[in-house]
Amino acid sequence: MLTHTRCKWLAAFTAAAIFSMAAEVVTGQAVEFSDTTLENGLRVVIAEDHVAPVLSIAVNYDVGSRNERRGRTGFAHLFEHMMFEGSENVGDGEHMLLIFNNGGDLNGTTDKDRTVYYERMPSNQLDLGLFLEADRMASLDITLENLNNQRQAVQEERRLRVDNQPYGHTFETIDELAYENFAYAHSTIGSMTDLNAATVTDVASFFRTYYAPNNAVLAIVGDVDTESVLKKVHQYFGQIPRQPDPPAVDLTEPRQTGERRTSYDDPLARLARIDIAYHIPESLPADHDAMSVLSTVLTSGRSSRLYQAIVRDTQLGVDLSSSAGNNRGPGLLWLGVIAAPGADLVALEAAIYEQIERIKTAPIEAWELDKARNGARRSFVSSLGSSLQRAIVLSRYALFYDDPNLINSRAESIASVSAEDLRRVARTYLTETNRSVVLTLPALAGGQSGEDPGQGGF
Amino acid sequence: MRLCLYYVVGFTCALSAGVYAQAGVQQAQSITGAELKGLAPVSDEILKVELPKAEEADLDNGLHLMVLEDRRVPIVSVQVILIGAGGYYDPPDHAGLAGFTASLLREGTATRSSVEIAEALETLASRVNVSTDMSLQAATMRLSSLVEYLDQTIALAADVLLRPSFPEEELALFKTREQAGLIEQRTRPRFLAVERLAKVIYGDHPAGRTSPTPETLDRTTRDDLIAFHREHYVPDHAVIAIAGDISMADALPAVERHFGAWASSGTRPPTVDDPEPIGPSRLYLINREASVQTNLVVGTQAINRTSDDYDILSVMNQIVGGGPSSRLFLNLREDKGYTYGAYSSFTAQRYRGDWDASTEVRTEVTGDALAELLRELVRIHDEPVPEQEFQDAKRSIVASFALSLESPNALLNNFVVRHLYDLPDDYWDRYPERIMSVTREQVQEVAAKYLDAGRLHIVAVGDGEQISGMLTSFGAVDVYDDQGTLIETVGGDQ
Repeated sequence: MLTHTRCKWLAAFTAAAIFSMAAEVVTGQAVEFSDTTLENGLRVVIAEDHVAPVLSIAVNYDVGSRNERRGRTGFAHLFEHMMFEGSENVGDGEHMLLIFNNGGDLNGTTDKDRTVYYERMPSNQLDLGLFLEADRMASLDITLENLNNQRQAVQEERRLRVDNQPYGHTFETIDELAYENFAYAHSTIGSMTDLNAATVTDVASFFRTYYAPNNAVLAIVGDVDTESVLKKVHQYFGQIPRQPDPPAVDLTEPRQTGERRTSYDDPLARLARIDIAYHIPESLPADHDAMSVLSTVLTSGRSSRLYQAIVRDTQLGVDLSSSAGNNRGPGLLWLGVIAAPGADLVALEAAIYEQIERIKTAPIEAWELDKARNGARRSFVSSLGSSLQRAIVLSRYALFYDDPNLINSRAESIASVSAEDLRRVARTYLTETNRSVVLTLPALAGGQSGEDPGQGGF
Repeated sequence: MRLCLYYVVGFTCALSAGVYAQAGVQQAQSITGAELKGLAPVSDEILKVELPKAEEADLDNGLHLMVLEDRRVPIVSVQVILIGAGGYYDPPDHAGLAGFTASLLREGTATRSSVEIAEALETLASRVNVSTDMSLQAATMRLSSLVEYLDQTIALAADVLLRPSFPEEELALFKTREQAGLIEQRTRPRFLAVERLAKVIYGDHPAGRTSPTPETLDRTTRDDLIAFHREHYVPDHAVIAIAGDISMADALPAVERHFGAWASSGTRPPTVDDPEPIGPSRLYLINREASVQTNLVVGTQAINRTSDDYDILSVMNQIVGGGPSSRLFLNLREDKGYTYGAYSSFTAQRYRGDWDASTEVRTEVTGDALAELLRELVRIHDEPVPEQEFQDAKRSIVASFALSLESPNALLNNFVVRHLYDLPDDYWDRYPERIMSVTREQVQEVAAKYLDAGRLHIVAVGDGEQISGMLTSFGAVDVYDDQGTLIETVGGDQ
């Protein structure tokens, strides 16, 4: 295991540090970083920022709910909780206590594509942060008692976010309806039954397969010296053995050939809502950038087309949002609208499609593209203010696309989207046969009378 | 600006040589919910802060300007804090008027329509919002912009703030959206818990209200908005706080250009009253059918922002429930597995505020979780806090304070608090020192003073049929429906 008294940092790194020089066309600023891979396959990205004595560490593992098998939904996230339960040299819960008691903060988060752990701390605690992350990558203390405890915490998390909230099930239903491939069709939080089925053997095997240095990216951003961080990284992580590459996941999604539609009676909701999802490409290609801009044009802010048409003009809806997502694999453009009390849902749905058809035929105005460009630029420069945000983004781009420098070029890619691109992607992807529609209808518990749910023709 | 921060050697373990304390300086021990091996390399230096100063200036009309220059990111954030325009000053018979006024400012000015304002701001990726809360003295306009669009954004913001037209058709649209919001919020268990808790802690005080009613919303007229704006949106007691990529030399002329002609009203600073003293302990159940969890909140009145107990209460709260390293989280989640989270917090303003602890637990453990939560509140005043836990809590506050200053807005907010509450000039410079000087005896005294069982009020939102029996073992329970109507009282001596 890790031997802290003997420094092994004199061993050669397998790759020389490469410093990025980014284009500054759109942003006027660039994140500089070094990008190194250790002999055991751990990729290390370091960005210096000396403005405050703060340091952020992100460890991004190439495992998410897409790697789960049938009967074990929710496992990747349950496993994430186990990473705080102790390792060879760190007691159960000690990681958390050490970070918070020294003024830092931390968390872990799991989605379909990855699991990321992070801490932000005073920069004099670099050794502590590296020690803690390395110890749990090298060894994990897996006991049934800890598993049962965290299983309960996760089940309460599911109740808190899903089962006890209005529209909680809507989001699970969208993915289940839109995706045929199990990898993306099931929810990251998982089912109660599957969470109950998880065993300590599952935990040990998952750890061995996915929590290996060659399956992770470590990013360190803040008031540090790159060379000395690299030495310490080698000292703490260098002896963790490489593992065989995990099995690849097939994310192929069959082409959808007809509209899918379902409705859900929600005992906790009082207002109906409509959610519509269209299959779109994975993140990064030009068509996905165009979809991100399209999402801005349709629903971002009060100047957006759907807000104007649905909330102001027809008053069929009271709130709306959309997202083009960030999936590594096949994505969804998702639109969600909460209906006004008593609104005719048929008319509401028709009003949404009318705006989508308008994108395909009528011109996109110049200010709408400026809005998306300025929005992308602003979100890039905002992220520069937080060392933690940068660490998470750098590790993500390195892990997903083998290119941390995407942090510097994404805003420019968004800016290059044209009005013609928007029309093209709208015509290609926003079609009737490519959409899945979920209606969430208020179903009052106990037979109380309430607002007219406005079920229209459904 | 560069934040000027430095490290000093910690109070508990002074190391005269060497930067890092080596493994093993902590004692290996275990506490409820965690096991400590003490092998990780922890630096015992504590990050200490020498705060940069905000520059300040006063305009002739009474506006107080504060600027914290920070060139890291080409964004500027501005807050216009309008003391006296907050929901606290709603007319007694018109709950929500201050909030309606704030929300409708953006819906039209003498020269711009609602749609024009939205398009102009969103095209620049600038944000301008005005909001308040029914418990707040101030309405606050928050604007932020890329630095190259700052002047356009401030011009729009000043137009919105000083020359709103409150168009009739926008008021009608607002009412439609807001009525739906009033329906929707009653589906959220957290809202139902907070609504009841505010009523029982503050009674008839303005902070006892959390939401307008459908009726007060419905009868709001354009004239009501115009009158509230005319009377309450005055520069005399307002503060403009700016953080980001701008200097005082550039900010002052911009503020004078856009806000200099805003006429002073000559009014005196608005006043506040403390709530009536808290009544004896009681339980409240809000029956939310189909709930699969119970939201538990235990609350009481605590302190004003200028109370001598502020720092002590901060330490006590950190120990009880300030974060995931605190007792409630470690006990209710990590040890018992009742919940995803359990925390406590307090608010402190000009008037006496509240302290509360909350958690969400599966229905069947409602009684057990409440008993455990209350046990922690007894323990904090019955038993001295173990020395290591006590030092850790103080260290956590001081070090996270330093870390929070990575954000210029967090730093500026501290200066705003100092200004608004007339705190001493060196208030934040001395904050770490004051926290470190809090004693264990003081924590116990403050806990006994505020968290005495006789003054704790307990709110539970959940499936009444399943949980009312569990709650009655703690005393009489007032049962409400999800519309806030008292249905019955069950159990206890009633």
